[in-house]
Order: sequence, then structure tokens, then C-alpha cells
Amino acid sequence: MEKEKKKLIVDGKRVNGRGFDDLRPLKVTAGVLKRADGSAMIEWGRNKVLAAVYGPREVFPKHLSDVKKAIINCRYSMAPFSGMEEHGRSGPNRRAIEIGKVAKHVFENAVLTHQFPKTQIDISMEVLQSDGGTRVAAITAASVALADAGIPMRDLVQGVSIGRVEGQLIVDLDKYEDNLGEADVPLIVSLRSKEVLLFQQDGRISREELQKMFELGFKGAELVRDVQVQALRQRYFETGDELNNHG
Amino acid sequence: MKDFIVPGEVVYDQPRRFDGSFVDREKTFASVLSVKYDDRVVALKGLYTPVVSDYVIGIIKHELFSGYKVDLNSPYIGMLSSRDLRERFEVGQVISVVIRMADEVKEAELVEPRRLWGGRVIEIPAVKIPRVIGRNNSMVSLLEQYTGCRIFVGKNGRVYVKGDNTSLAIESVMKIAREAHMHGLTDRIKSFLEDETKAGHLASEIGSPFQASPSPETK
Repeated sequence: MEKEKKKLIVDGKRVNGRGFDDLRPLKVTAGVLKRADGSAMIEWGRNKVLAAVYGPREVFPKHLSDVKKAIINCRYSMAPFSGMEEHGRSGPNRRAIEIGKVAKHVFENAVLTHQFPKTQIDISMEVLQSDGGTRVAAITAASVALADAGIPMRDLVQGVSIGRVEGQLIVDLDKYEDNLGEADVPLIVSLRSKEVLLFQQDGRISREELQKMFELGFKGAELVRDVQVQALRQRYFETGDELNNHG
Repeated sequence: MKDFIVPGEVVYDQPRRFDGSFVDREKTFASVLSVKYDDRVVALKGLYTPVVSDYVIGIIKHELFSGYKVDLNSPYIGMLSSRDLRERFEVGQVISVVIRMADEVKEAELVEPRRLWGGRVIEIPAVKIPRVIGRNNSMVSLLEQYTGCRIFVGKNGRVYVKGDNTSLAIESVMKIAREAHMHGLTDRIKSFLEDETKAGHLASEIGSPFQASPSPETK
């Protein structure tokens, strides 16, 4: 017996009530961890990710150091209680290692690593609660944490996920749309240089759709950037407590 | 007018080079969080990297046969050669040193070590140090005058305070660092110091991360 297929688009709207290019409610808070050099917390829909940055600091083990630039270590991890699926076993799994690696490549292209030879910058992204699109949420948060740490960057990077469900392109997929949709693309961009820093793909998309996805992605990223800037402004101008680290 | 600038924002339409910026396609962009005033751009955040002839406050990290490794509140560690040293240091001691040489990988060679006895050391972001010093040392003099402390400011973001009212001096330095990018700093600090000295004491005792020399009990 064939199972009845659940519809993801009803009356020209997504089942979660959003329009096709609407983002979920997004909130970023900078400087949430006092012992880290820089930190940020992102709450994006039901996603909740904590990012912390340490460094630049001495490389350990020393033989990994590069005399021309800083090396970047990224750690992405999902808390055991973060989602519906099992994340309980110890240590990073295959998926977490992959996301750590792609995040590392994003930041290698964003951070001015040549200014700090022979050092390492450690970025930790911890997913506390997940609901689809955690890698873009994590990288967006880590970007704010890097700015908060005072690490020189070419741009504040940000992103959004784009996908297709029932033939319709949609922005910022939740877990439901991600699992049941036809295709999804997490996208991290630099708005300053109009570069795409992260592009991954699940499912088939046509060339025309891809073009449209980039347009939607850059448009979504602009909204995300406004939230990031607001978070940093709040930290430095409205509360002025960036020195609580020393208290 | 001042604007809050985030990394990747255009600050000048012409290429200019200064700390916390980079040039791309004939334009100048900020690379760190900054504040743009009419005539200049000041970084809000930034790390200290050793610069020749800077006076800095270091903490002895390791003792080697050839000298000492000194923590400079920076990603890079300084090296104090024992070749022309007259005194010996111990790990954890606080010294003031001058950077004699810094190479392309930012390894720093240090000279003229002076042990800092007593007092307390605090750390603030290195980019705020110019505001703590003030124009022609005006801010440091102000602090010294009101608190009666000796204040030594290291370019690496460490401030050494010694004297009677170190708590007030430390609180003031923290206030400067916290509010360096806001308008009317000198006046605010002056009135803060006046209020606090009038009250005769400072209500809150502030802990400092380092004690310049350990007290006999903790030894």
C-alpha cells in the first residue's frame, strides 16, 4: 500500500506558514561566552547554535604551523540532545567532520590569515538544538564570533539554505522541508565580493534553477547580514560591556 | 559623526593603508570592527603584534638555557636573551621590556628588562592603549594625579598600577577601555575620578588576573 504523500506547499504557502522566500525568525547575540576571545549565539527558527573563537594562538602540535599564514581549525558538533535523530555517540561523526572541513574552507577564504603567521585560530560551533540548516546557522554565528574576537576578515560571511519542494524554489528550509523536499543547497556567500564560499548540493537541480537559487541566496544573505551587524552594534554601543571578560 | 563599521565595509573610496583595513580594487575596506569618525577610522578590536621599540609588559613563561620566553599578551612569544642579562628571573614574574627586533614571522627579541615589583597588572585590548595614554600622556597624568598611583602602560595592552588606590586606577582604566569609542571620554573620566575620590573609597574591590609579585602567603 502506498503511503499518502504529505504536501509541503498548501494554497501557495509552505506548510509552516512562510512564503517562498521568507526566512525563519533570526536572532544573533554576540559575546555570550566570557572566556572565549569571541563568541556568538544564533537562534534561527528552532535552530540554536553557539560559536566560540580562540586565537590566534600558538600552534599545537608545532609541526602543523605554517610560516606564511595562520591555520584555522573548525569543529562542528551536534549536542546529543539537539535533535530527533541520534547524536549520542562520543566524538564527531562523519557528517560533523565534513561540516567542520567545509567551514574551515569558508573561513580560510574570509580571514586574513597571512597577518598571523605561525598561529592557529580555533573555531568551535556547537549545535544545541537543530531544525534543518544548522551548517549555515553555525557558520553565520562563527562569522560574528570572529568579528567579536577582532580577527581581521575580508568580509562578514553569512548564508542561507535554498531548496526545491514540489517544483518550487524556497529559502531557508526547516528539517521537514529538507528531508521531504526534492533538493537543497546550503550556501555561504561574501556579499562584498559576490563570492560563493560554500556550495553543497543534495538532489538534482537544473542550471536555470541554480541561477535562481544564487539570486535567492544572495537576497537572503543580505537579511542575515543586517541581523549580524545589529548584534555586533548592540554589543559595542548599546551595552558597552565587552570588557566583562576581565571582571 | 561616527559610524559603526564591520569587516568588509567600505571606509574610503581611495586606497589607504592603516591598521584594521585592507585594499581591494582601489577601495579601502575595514577588516575588523571599527568606528569611523570624520577624519579617521579607529579599530574597536585588534590583537597586539610586536613592533620594534615598543615598551611592553611581559610575563616570564619559560626559562631556557639561552634566555627566557616572555608572554606578551599577543599570539607571539618574545625571547629575552640571557647573554647580556645581569639578573635572573623566575617563571611568572612580571617585567617591562623593550622590543629590539621583530622579524617577518613576528618573533620578537626583547631587551632592557625591568622587574615590576608589587602593584597589579590588568589586560585591556591593545587597540585601546592610545586612549589610556592620552594626548601627550594627559590621561595617564590625570589618573596618576587623582589616584596617587604609579601607572605604567605597555603597548601590548597590559597596564601596571602601583600605589594606594589601585582599585580606583584599575576601575578607571577599565572604564576608558570600555568607553574609548564613545564621545567625551576625558570629561567623563575626570568626573568619575572626582566623584570617586570625593567619596573617599571605592565600593567594589576589583580582582585582577595577575599579581605582579606574589604576596608572601601565596608563595
